[in-house]
Amino acid sequence: MSESLSAATAAPEIALNGLTRSEGGNHVLPPSSRPRRKNSGGIRAGLEVTLLSGPAVIIFLAFVIVPVIVALYYSFYSWKGFGTPNPVGWANYKWTLTNPQFWDAVKHNGIILVLSLVMQGPLAILLALLLNQKMRGRSIIRVLVFVPYVISEAIVGIGMSLMLQDTGAVNDLLNAHVGWLSSPKVAIWTLMFILTWKYIGFAIILMLAGLQGIPEELSEAAAVDGASYWQIQWHIMLPLLKPTIKIWAFLSIIGSMQLFDLVYVIWGQYIANIAGVSTMAYFMAQNGRLSGQLGRGSAIAIVVFLISLVVAIAYQRFILNRDTEGALTEAGEE
Amino acid sequence: MHIRKTSQVVIGLLAAATLLVGLSACSNNSSSNTTPSSSGPVTLTLWHNATSGQGLAYWQQAVKTFEANNPGVTINAQVVQNEDFDGKLQAAMAANTTPDIFLQRGGGKLADQVNAGQVLDITNLIDSNVKSQIGGGFAVDSLNNKIYAMPLDIQPEGFWYSQNLFQKAGVTASSITDMDSLNAAVTKLKAAGGTDFAPIALGAKDAWPAAHWFYQFSLRECTQDTASQLATGQLKSLSDPCWLKALNDLDAFNKTNPWNPGFLTTVGQQGAGSSAGLVANYKAAMELQGAWDPGVIGGLTPDGKNLPDLGYFPFPAVPGGQGDPTALMAGADGWSCSAKAPEPACVNFLNFLGSTAQQKLYAVAFSTIPANPTAADAVTDPATKTAAEALSKAKYTLLWFDSALGQDAGNAVNQAVVGMLAGQLTPDKALAQMNTALANNG
Repeated sequence: MSESLSAATAAPEIALNGLTRSEGGNHVLPPSSRPRRKNSGGIRAGLEVTLLSGPAVIIFLAFVIVPVIVALYYSFYSWKGFGTPNPVGWANYKWTLTNPQFWDAVKHNGIILVLSLVMQGPLAILLALLLNQKMRGRSIIRVLVFVPYVISEAIVGIGMSLMLQDTGAVNDLLNAHVGWLSSPKVAIWTLMFILTWKYIGFAIILMLAGLQGIPEELSEAAAVDGASYWQIQWHIMLPLLKPTIKIWAFLSIIGSMQLFDLVYVIWGQYIANIAGVSTMAYFMAQNGRLSGQLGRGSAIAIVVFLISLVVAIAYQRFILNRDTEGALTEAGEE
Repeated sequence: MHIRKTSQVVIGLLAAATLLVGLSACSNNSSSNTTPSSSGPVTLTLWHNATSGQGLAYWQQAVKTFEANNPGVTINAQVVQNEDFDGKLQAAMAANTTPDIFLQRGGGKLADQVNAGQVLDITNLIDSNVKSQIGGGFAVDSLNNKIYAMPLDIQPEGFWYSQNLFQKAGVTASSITDMDSLNAAVTKLKAAGGTDFAPIALGAKDAWPAAHWFYQFSLRECTQDTASQLATGQLKSLSDPCWLKALNDLDAFNKTNPWNPGFLTTVGQQGAGSSAGLVANYKAAMELQGAWDPGVIGGLTPDGKNLPDLGYFPFPAVPGGQGDPTALMAGADGWSCSAKAPEPACVNFLNFLGSTAQQKLYAVAFSTIPANPTAADAVTDPATKTAAEALSKAKYTLLWFDSALGQDAGNAVNQAVVGMLAGQLTPDKALAQMNTALANNG
């Protein structure tokens, strides 16, 4: 996800240096590295490029591409991790696609995806607008808002699961008996609350950065023309923030599709599907690693990969691409 | 242009070669640990699951003593948390980095490892004294008349309860012999406990503690033959009506709501909020567990000592059940050597663990029943003694169904039980889910 971000922000550079870059276009280059000399010292430049990008490319191949291919291979075998794999054809895929628990997990991912956008987006924009004002204690609020994002998922998970137990601190404080984690009707909302609390800081920081990139002259000019504060936010700030919002939404969607650690830590290895919060990655860990069926787990991984790929490409193609181009040209002209 | 490309390729190849050399150097390192060698200093890795307290101290002592008696042998003991153990062991086997000595749960899990050639056949390597002393205790760790692990304890299951809380509620443990008396006890305990303590603690988040209730009802409902077919992993379908009866029994009992609040998100053994922790801190009157429980509970009391008023009674009979009312579910923790473990150091260590002297220390440290009967007099914990008596009276014992079935089907059976306890599956549906898992098992 960070790749797409850096690729998008670095786009104008590539456009500016398009001529030089096209020579080395058949190499995978970190977008931010720009050629230091033009034309002269071609061999040296090539050496530099290879030397600098080589390790990254090799690591990427060894730890991303090769495992994907290996997973594809093992997805057609029944394999427990040791011993000889038995070829089973499409059986692992059939098992996955006909398993109601898998579709439950897909549904939960969908719910989390939509709710994350709906809950975190508007809240983050409002808070970012607020924090963009000059006011007392602004930096301390910014830090506080960002703190949950910095805490590791495992610690958040353990802390939350202790507090939200039926006999935990939250029920004690409210003098209530709500099954925050165990009741299937409540648990998904508990998860959404935790996710919002945890990740809204990131959204706010992103929005703030976007807001600060908008030239002050625009809102000043509007104010001179008699626009009210809210008119300025609605007609100037929000439209100019659109590219940032879309990037954030993309990251949020990817995060929702991948969600695993919080669920695994809070609900443990077995009961997430019973509590109605299992995700695709959780289903994979449960039915691949935990059940010791690594071939089946590989098949689930491939299915999850394809689903995520379709969502990501569709978003890129239909939503992200067009507007980013326009917005980034503006940013480049700044 | 051309030169540039060539140089890039050369450098790329160089970089790739460097990485490969690095990687293969790593793998050489890790495999050299497990290469068999008969002479010179050897290092063995040991994986156990005693994370704290006297159990951890036992392993530290055992390693130290063995190293002192066997110069040149180093044992590198690593603790792996119980719930993570099976998954991590499997991953290690997949990566060919199997620890030399590891905890063996027996049953289908053992069979998988044997079929993959990961476990050492120790039938003829066991010390003859230890072999004759333990005798039939090797059964759980045997497959096709070959022995693959040294059993260190026998863990019959039953209720571990607080005598104080029972007294408070006016319940006598010895009177709980059938379901009526168990239900009556729950009612009394609920009335006496109120919000202070729950009648029964259950760690359903770990799935297996909940599933053990189903195992126990099955043990009582099914004939010895039928139940032992599942306990040896031979059943492909739970077609005998006794299985559904067992699920119905558990469903009916679940509806009396005997558990601690939030049992679904309660773990089994970690921390004061776990089911064992609830018993250790008088927040629940009893729980159904194997004979490791006195030690686990002892590790979770405020002072870290065994619960002074802990008692034991076996699972009650069910009306019309075809199983023997004295029969017990029981597991055994065994210790295996990996097929590539340095010999004879590894088997020597297993023989050392099985010896009378070490077994006595083991029984005390884990408050459990040693597999070697010559160490039985070391058991001082009164609750464990009661369990040992029940074991000696048991007409037959069966291994945990999940261990017997192996990881895949075993977990599926366990999860079906939790789904039923959570009210999401009817007994029929839970049975259907189990049958699907059994049919796919193999």
